[in-house]
Amino acid sequence: MSKSITTRRDALRRIALALTAAGSAMELNAQEAQHVHSAAAADTKGGKYQPKVFNEHEWATVTRLSELIVPADARSGSAVDAGAPQFIDVLCSQNAALTAIFTGGISWLDAEMRRRAGKEFVTSTAVEQTAMLDAIVAAERTVREQNAEELLFARAPQYKGFSSYTVKPGTDLAPGVRFFDWARRLIVDAYFTSPIGIKDVNYVGNQALSKYEVPQEAIDYAFNRSPFRIV
Amino acid sequence: MVVVGSGAGGGTTVRVLTEHGIKCALLEAGPMLNVAQEFKEHQMPFDVPHRGAEDGGAAYFGNGKPFGYFSTTSGGWELDGEPYTVGEGSEFRWFRSRILGGRTNHYGRMSFRFSPYDFQPYSKDGLGFDWPVTYDEMAPWYDKAERFVGVTGANHNDLPSAPNGQFLKPPPPKVHELLIKKACDKMGVYCIPNRRAIVTEPMKGRIPCHYCGQCGRGCQTASAYSSSQVEIFPAMKSGKLTVFNNAMVREVLTDGNGKATGVVYIDKNTRREKVIRARAVVLAASACESARILLNSKTTEFPNGVANGSGVVGRFLMDSVGFGLSGNVPALEGMKHYNTDGAGGAHLYMPWWLWDKHGKLDFPRGYHIEIGGGYGMPGIGSFQGAARRAGYGQGIKDTARKEYGCSIGFAGRGEMIPNMHSYCEIDRSVVDRWGIPVLKFHFKWTDYEWKQARHMEKTFAEIITTMGGRVTGLSAAQREADGISTPGTIIHEVGTVRMGKDRRDSALNKYCQAHELKNLYVVDGGFFVSNPDKNPTLTINAFAWRAADHLAEEMRKGNV
Repeated sequence: MSKSITTRRDALRRIALALTAAGSAMELNAQEAQHVHSAAAADTKGGKYQPKVFNEHEWATVTRLSELIVPADARSGSAVDAGAPQFIDVLCSQNAALTAIFTGGISWLDAEMRRRAGKEFVTSTAVEQTAMLDAIVAAERTVREQNAEELLFARAPQYKGFSSYTVKPGTDLAPGVRFFDWARRLIVDAYFTSPIGIKDVNYVGNQALSKYEVPQEAIDYAFNRSPFRIV
Repeated sequence: MVVVGSGAGGGTTVRVLTEHGIKCALLEAGPMLNVAQEFKEHQMPFDVPHRGAEDGGAAYFGNGKPFGYFSTTSGGWELDGEPYTVGEGSEFRWFRSRILGGRTNHYGRMSFRFSPYDFQPYSKDGLGFDWPVTYDEMAPWYDKAERFVGVTGANHNDLPSAPNGQFLKPPPPKVHELLIKKACDKMGVYCIPNRRAIVTEPMKGRIPCHYCGQCGRGCQTASAYSSSQVEIFPAMKSGKLTVFNNAMVREVLTDGNGKATGVVYIDKNTRREKVIRARAVVLAASACESARILLNSKTTEFPNGVANGSGVVGRFLMDSVGFGLSGNVPALEGMKHYNTDGAGGAHLYMPWWLWDKHGKLDFPRGYHIEIGGGYGMPGIGSFQGAARRAGYGQGIKDTARKEYGCSIGFAGRGEMIPNMHSYCEIDRSVVDRWGIPVLKFHFKWTDYEWKQARHMEKTFAEIITTMGGRVTGLSAAQREADGISTPGTIIHEVGTVRMGKDRRDSALNKYCQAHELKNLYVVDGGFFVSNPDKNPTLTINAFAWRAADHLAEEMRKGNV
């Protein structure tokens, strides 16, 4: 266990003590509670990760898919930087069905890439790789639109632009659509639940505050952009 | 004294009885609560390798904890080895919590006292049944319960659907809530400070809310009410309370002369049957579990089950009518992010606003509206909508950044009319792993509930479009059921051991005391006669307090 965890436990213990000792409870202030939060936020960094489930080729493929699905940009790192391949490997190591989705999906992807470009996915060029993903996404969108039309409520005017759907692929790319949906789901979740992703969307909560306030600046901003704009 | 169950009803009972100096045994079917281990209030998703998806990604396969890994839920709609059955053509999902404090460790803390009209609904519209008590009789108990539990809110003299109470200062509304309020103002819908069991000032050893916004994960500081931390732990310190954990009660014992003498339970640790004898028995095991215990307690004196001479035990099962809709609000795009966690849930809510307009509506009774929105802590699934729309690549980041915090959601919680098709009974053909015959559920929504849900849908869509937003989705559960919640999933199940004036059509009197056994009380949601659009917990707190005082007085007089 890292030092930060020990510190958090200590702080939690102090909270528990403060609660049980009548009269002393008020001494626990916002700074104390904040300490718990900060300690919890301190991440632990290990050495080079050794995949538990994936072989070298599968690991390289999952890593490349992570880069393609959530790439780095000027503001933040990629899903690889956020630990997406490790996240997937850990979950697969605990779940044979999930492993089968990934190992089978990677094999399908390689076979399809060989058919299209004569090479497996990781050794294809970036252009060939994105062409493959574009084809999968296009197939996925067709299915989504078909399904949305089947939903009764989506026909009412207030549901214009309704976006939810369920994947029921019916094309040759069906196994790819299904695998891609899984890969993207885990990669995107891994990214946005990482310190990098949380900083990227700028989540500023889970703090201990002694007073809760809503900035007037934010209120004015939203009202001036709303139908309730004060002219 | 033996009390079965440790939620809002059982917790209140043992606290009040021990304050009267009465010794209590409290039986809980789950383990002891360890706050430091159980409450994941301050964690971030990256504090665990699975980020909240749970081992093996169980959450992705629909096998995760209800309400997510970080929630402090101990239990769910399915429990290993403790099944229930559902009648053909019916649908019902029975939520059970198995831990000290029960559902109060994680519930929404919505604390709405009933309105005067809620106690006499039959007199108002000829549907359902009247309670054997009036609002004036119960108002002092609501006052006591609100002062003890600690409820935020504000008084409004013109609102029959949200009577005045004893409120702590509410936190200020968030930006999206102010926009919603403005839209509601235009539509003639009231939008007022939320009433939640959160202390915003120091109270009896509880420090004020520190606005981490994670109430569903359990509150380390007990700023959010839970029966375990606020009622039971202090009662344990009195030396008058003994807690028996992993104690699964099977039946109430009686003496053949109209008195309860104790309970039989299975000790889950040893799988052995044990007996506790007591001067009085208080059931607070949850509406359906208490009905199950009574129905499973058959004697020659009580051939239909203890306290069930009327035959109503198990009958008139109700849940709240639920419907939800979400929307995207462009006015919020590009706003400078601020901390929207606040006191956990919404800081505003909309009480029922058409209490005198039933002539113009195609359904009886009403509903309140709960609000969702803000920059919530990213978690498993948070950005899947953005990811699907964008496909892959830079577009996912761009969409997520643009849409984050721009979603709002509404959840309607409405009153159903009790009906003959909604009930639970003992399924004699199935027992659980403790050998106890299980419950079989039957449930039907009627046109009253369906039409109410359609009114919710129309209203929510109108609020969203009035704000300049667009409707984006129904929750998966609601879509599945085509526009009304699956019965049981709102977890407001009540009414199965109802109270009444007449012992021929009710099991309890207005003090939650069984008509047929003076020393048997039922103080969970079972006693409800109707299920107004007011989440049940605060009403359970108030009635349980009154019942405990009544029981103590009966004991003092020598009647029990």
